[in-house]
Amino acid sequence: MGRVISESVSRRRVLLAVAAAPLAVACTTEPPPPPPPDPLAALAAQARADARLAEGLTAVPAAAEIAKARGTHASLLQAEVDRERPPLSSTAPPAPTAPPTPPDPLAALRTSLDEAVREASALVASLPSYRAGLVGSVAAGCASLREVLG
Amino acid sequence: MNVDAVQTALGTEHAALWTYGMVSAFLGDQTAAAVAEGANLHRARRDTTERWLRDHSATPNPPAAAYLPPSPVSDGPSALAALVAVEQDTCAAWRGVLERTDDQGLRTSALEALTTAAVRATRWRKAAGTTPASITMPGVASG
Repeated sequence: MGRVISESVSRRRVLLAVAAAPLAVACTTEPPPPPPPDPLAALAAQARADARLAEGLTAVPAAAEIAKARGTHASLLQAEVDRERPPLSSTAPPAPTAPPTPPDPLAALRTSLDEAVREASALVASLPSYRAGLVGSVAAGCASLREVLG
Repeated sequence: MNVDAVQTALGTEHAALWTYGMVSAFLGDQTAAAVAEGANLHRARRDTTERWLRDHSATPNPPAAAYLPPSPVSDGPSALAALVAVEQDTCAAWRGVLERTDDQGLRTSALEALTTAAVRATRWRKAAGTTPASITMPGVASG
């Protein structure tokens, strides 16, 4: 009798071990690394930030035109980001956290447009050709805005 | 094909150079330096573009005898409008090159040509009193 019981226990243990094995595997396997962020997403965020900054500069004549143009850049870039990698929920992009207003917003806008020209330009060489035209026009558009801002 | 897009861009450089030469008679002394600068930069771009084509076993297209601006040029404002038009055509042609090549060197010079033409177009629009003076998406028809 004792022999039969011990046998049945061992069979249960074996079954348990077999059943648990995939679980153990599932728990220890690393999830696949998330894909690297789309470089155009950063350009879109930068464009949104510039649009917000320019909107606040009501005393500067060119600011309204800059706000509108950077808003257009943001939506064109975001549309390309979403086309290539559709967002999981319709709530993307995340609500922007209002950054503190810089002490000299006009100087900040100049610096930011210069950076936008530089960053978009640096990206053009490495992008697939269908994106190079879009980002090249954004870079040239920021250079044009910088010329207007003076 | 790269070569066709570059030939198109070369065509706009020839047209720009011709236009800068033609308008100078209608513009005052205060724009003379900017006209000369624009002409020099288009001449340099034409030369490097022709060189690129020869290096890629293509024969650069020669310039036309004359170019027709979108509207007749008869005074200062129409001269500025012709400069704006030719710079915007240049933007479109170089953006076309960007979209058709994976050659990094060519991309870099196409982007430089697109950006500098956009800045010059903006200056001429500013001089003409066009609003907005800026171009949101240079090289795009609606831009």
